[in-house]
Amino acid sequence: MSQSDVSYHVGTADDPGTVLPPSEADTPVAASDEVAIQNYTINFGPQHPAAHGVLRMVMEMDGEIVERVDPHVGLLHRGTEKLCEYKTYLQALPYFDRLDYCSPMCMEHSYVLAIEKLLGVEVPIRAQYLRVFFAELTRIMNHMLNLGSHVMDVGAMTPNLWLFELREDTMNFYERASGARMHAAFFRPGGVHQDVPLKLLTDIGDWLDKRLPRLFEDAVSLVADNRIFKQRNVDIGTVSRDDAIAWGFSGPMIRAAGVPWDIRKAQPYDVYDRMQFEVPTGTQGDCYDRFMVRVEEVRQSARIMRQCLNEMPEGPIASLDRKVVPPKRGDMKRSMEALIHHFKLYTEGFHVPAGDVYVATESPKGEFGVYLVSDGSNKPYRVKIRPTAFSHLQAMDFMMKGHMLADTTAVLSAIDVVFGECDR
Amino acid sequence: MSGTHPKYSSNEGVIDAARAVLGGHLLDAVEAVGEVKLFVAREGVAAALRALRDTPGLAYQQLMEIAGVDYPDRGVERFEVVYCLLSLTRNHRIRVHVRADDVNPVPSVTGLWPVAGWLEREVFDMFGVLFEGNPDLRRILTDYGFRGHPFRKDFPMTGHVEMRYSEEAKRVIYEPVQLAQDFRPFDFMSPWEGAEYVLPGDEKAAGSPVQPGAQTPAPAPAKADDKK
Repeated sequence: MSQSDVSYHVGTADDPGTVLPPSEADTPVAASDEVAIQNYTINFGPQHPAAHGVLRMVMEMDGEIVERVDPHVGLLHRGTEKLCEYKTYLQALPYFDRLDYCSPMCMEHSYVLAIEKLLGVEVPIRAQYLRVFFAELTRIMNHMLNLGSHVMDVGAMTPNLWLFELREDTMNFYERASGARMHAAFFRPGGVHQDVPLKLLTDIGDWLDKRLPRLFEDAVSLVADNRIFKQRNVDIGTVSRDDAIAWGFSGPMIRAAGVPWDIRKAQPYDVYDRMQFEVPTGTQGDCYDRFMVRVEEVRQSARIMRQCLNEMPEGPIASLDRKVVPPKRGDMKRSMEALIHHFKLYTEGFHVPAGDVYVATESPKGEFGVYLVSDGSNKPYRVKIRPTAFSHLQAMDFMMKGHMLADTTAVLSAIDVVFGECDR
Repeated sequence: MSGTHPKYSSNEGVIDAARAVLGGHLLDAVEAVGEVKLFVAREGVAAALRALRDTPGLAYQQLMEIAGVDYPDRGVERFEVVYCLLSLTRNHRIRVHVRADDVNPVPSVTGLWPVAGWLEREVFDMFGVLFEGNPDLRRILTDYGFRGHPFRKDFPMTGHVEMRYSEEAKRVIYEPVQLAQDFRPFDFMSPWEGAEYVLPGDEKAAGSPVQPGAQTPAPAPAKADDKK
C-alpha cells in the first residue's frame, strides 16, 4: 500500500482544514461542512509490543472499526524444516526447542514420539512419566507467559509481573533438569536425556503445593472478575463451534468454542492414559473464554504433575536399546562396547526405517504435529511441522471483522501466537 | 499397537469404507506404521476430501495440515501433497496423498475448509505446486520478492542471496551468497555400507575415476626433520 492510498482527511481538497484553537474546536461542526472519511490502511507491526513477536498486519480501517485484516507472517522464517533434512535425527532435535520458545519441551515431544513410532522402540515407564511431568510443567510455563501478556495487552500491569515470577521458577526447574533455562533438548528418542535428582522433584512438589496456587490464584483473582478486563474480552473475537472446526482450531481455541477436544484425553500418548484430569470448555467462544480455559488448564496441569510425582517409579530413563540411545559418558570411559555405541550414535546416528507418520500432541497452544518422512537413512527425508498458530492466525480476518482497533491486541493474545513456531 | 505415540481408534474397516465412497478417485490405500494413507488422483482430490468429510461413517471434519514433499527421483510428478485429516467424532486420523507437478494445478479445498487457504499458500511458496481455486495464492513465509521454491530438494540449503544493511547505500541490499568455507555435507555413512564418495586413495585403483564432490585428502605436511 503506497503512501498516496492512505487517506484520512478532514476537509475538502480546496480547504485542507486549519488547526482550530481549543476553544473553537469544542464547538460542534456545522452540518454544512463536508467531512469525507474513507477507509484507510494501517500497518500493525512488525515491531509492535502486542504483536507477540514479528507479525505485520495490514489492516483496513473504517474509522476505528476493522474492516479487513491481512496478516503477513514469515518474518521469522528460518527454514527449520530444511535444516532438519541436513542433520541426523538427534542433531535436528534442538531445532524444535527454538520453534515455540515459550514451551520448548512440548515441541520436542511430537518429534520424539514421531521417531519412536517409526522405530517401534520401547520406552521405560519412568521416562514416560518424566516426559508427561515436564510437558505439564511446560504448559504452566507457557500459560504464565500468555495469561500475563494477555492481561497486559488489555491494560493491566500487575498480574503479568506476578505470573512472570512463576515463569521464572519453571525456568529454574528447567535448568536444574536439563542445564538450560529454555532450550532444554531434554526429550530424546527413546526417553529423556538424563535422570532428575530427587531434590528437584520434591522442590517442584513443594512449589506446586505452596507457591504456584498462592501466586497464581492471586494474580487471576485480580482480573477474572474485573469489570474492565471483562469489558475488553467478553464477546470479543467470538468463534462458533462450526467455525472453530472449519478453521482447523485446536487446543484452548477449540475448547473455548465448546468442543471438549484434548489430544491428551482422546489420543493419549506416553502415560496420559493413567492421568486423571478434566478438560475445561468454554460456552461463548470469545477471548474471555479462552483466557479462562487456560486458567483452568494450569490447575489441571498442576494436578497431573502431582499424580506423576506420586506414581513415578524408579528405573531407567531411556530405552536400553543401544542402537538408538547412546550410553552415558561414564560407561563410555569403561566399556569398549559402550565406546563403540557412543561413537557411532554421536557421529552417524541411528537409522530410522523408511515410512511416514503424522504424530500430533497437545502442546499448550493446540495441536502441534510433525509429519515425518524417513527414507531409511540417518537423516529425516522431510520434517513437516504443523504449527498451531498458523491456522489460528489465519482466522484473524474473520475474528476481527467489525471489531475496534483496540480489540486486536485482545484477540491476538487469546490466540497465543509465538512466531518461532508460526514461521518456523 | 503399543508404544508412546498418540493412540486413536482402530483403523479396521476404514480403508473399505473409504474405497466404497471414493470409487474411481482412489488409486491406492495403504496401512503402514499404524496409519492409513489414501492415494488419490489429482483431479479428484477436492471431491474425495468432500466425501471423506461429509460421509457419516467417515466424518473427517477437520483438515489439520497440508504437507508438501519433494521426490525428485519420481520424474515429472515429483511432488506429493499430503492432507492430514482428523475426525473429532470418530477420533481417527487419515492421510490423503496426491501426486503433483509444478505445471498442472491441484484443485483447491478452500471451499471445503477455509483453513486450507494458508496451508495451500505454504505448499505453493515452498514447492511451487499450484492450487486451482485458491483465491489468494501468494507467497507466505518467504521474503517479499523471493525467487525460487526453497524446500525443493534441488534448492541449496544456503539459498542464493543474502541481505545486509549497506552503509554506503543506506538501505538493505541483496547480494549473492558468499560462503567463507565450502558447504560440507556430512553423511556419516559407513564406507562399507554404501557411501557414495570415493575414499581417499581409492581413486588410484584402476578404472575408478574421481567422482565430483569427493573429499580429497589434505596434502601431507612437509616433514620438519627433512633439513637435518
